[in-house]
Amino acid sequence: MLTLMHFIILSVILFFIGIFGVLTRRNAIGILMSLELIFNAININMVAFSKFLTPQEIYGVIFTVFIITVAAAESVLGLAIILAIYRSGQKIFADEMNLMKW
Amino acid sequence: MISLIFFYIFAVLIVISAIFVVISKNIYYSALWLALTLFSVAGVFILLNAYFLAGIQVLIYIGAVVVLTIFVINLTKEIEGKKEKQHNKQVIPALLASLTGAVLIILAVLKTDWSSRIINWTAYDETAKLGNFLLADFVIPFEAASVLLLIALIGSIAIVSLDKENK
Repeated sequence: MLTLMHFIILSVILFFIGIFGVLTRRNAIGILMSLELIFNAININMVAFSKFLTPQEIYGVIFTVFIITVAAAESVLGLAIILAIYRSGQKIFADEMNLMKW
Repeated sequence: MISLIFFYIFAVLIVISAIFVVISKNIYYSALWLALTLFSVAGVFILLNAYFLAGIQVLIYIGAVVVLTIFVINLTKEIEGKKEKQHNKQVIPALLASLTGAVLIILAVLKTDWSSRIINWTAYDETAKLGNFLLADFVIPFEAASVLLLIALIGSIAIVSLDKENK
């Protein structure tokens, strides 16, 4: 029988894999991809809690729709910034960016 | 019972492909593994009876975000060679921190008594209800989300083309 525990543990594992990626990736695109993993962990968590604890309400599902929208907007803007940094002649490795340092 | 088998299949797929997203040496393979992860998350949504979410997960994440990521990887290809290291020096501290956090939260979850709060969940499709909610109770956040998408669209075009004018 599927319980709430299964989904929470899955989302915790996915969340911390994403955290590991954000902390260790040098490439800024890799950091953005790890952020997508974190967003997905949060989505699984929200839908699972919404389905198991308040099955008559669907607020968790609606929040997940908005999270997916904001994640898409964040991804577009992040990739645009990375592309602009790349085209201004800088490397896109996160530990070598010094555009805003003076 | 069958849903438990499917849950384990999707969970193993999610964890393995997410680990490959994080540790893969080639960032292009990493984007392809990300597509597999997002697809398996859509499967988990189906197990949770959230069919609409599974649909928009495939459409938006795999159809838009992963494709966009692959585009940007291809546009910044020259510095993606295998000679460049893809991970920084803090791999071991990051591994320790993530493992500690994950073990702590899983222990806390296992110790919590959920049985008093869980209402038995009946399988039904709530897509019609979701549409009603989005256009009645949540209409202002819904419109705000559309404005946000418009701002992101204009903003990304402005960011990318501003750079060209400066040259």
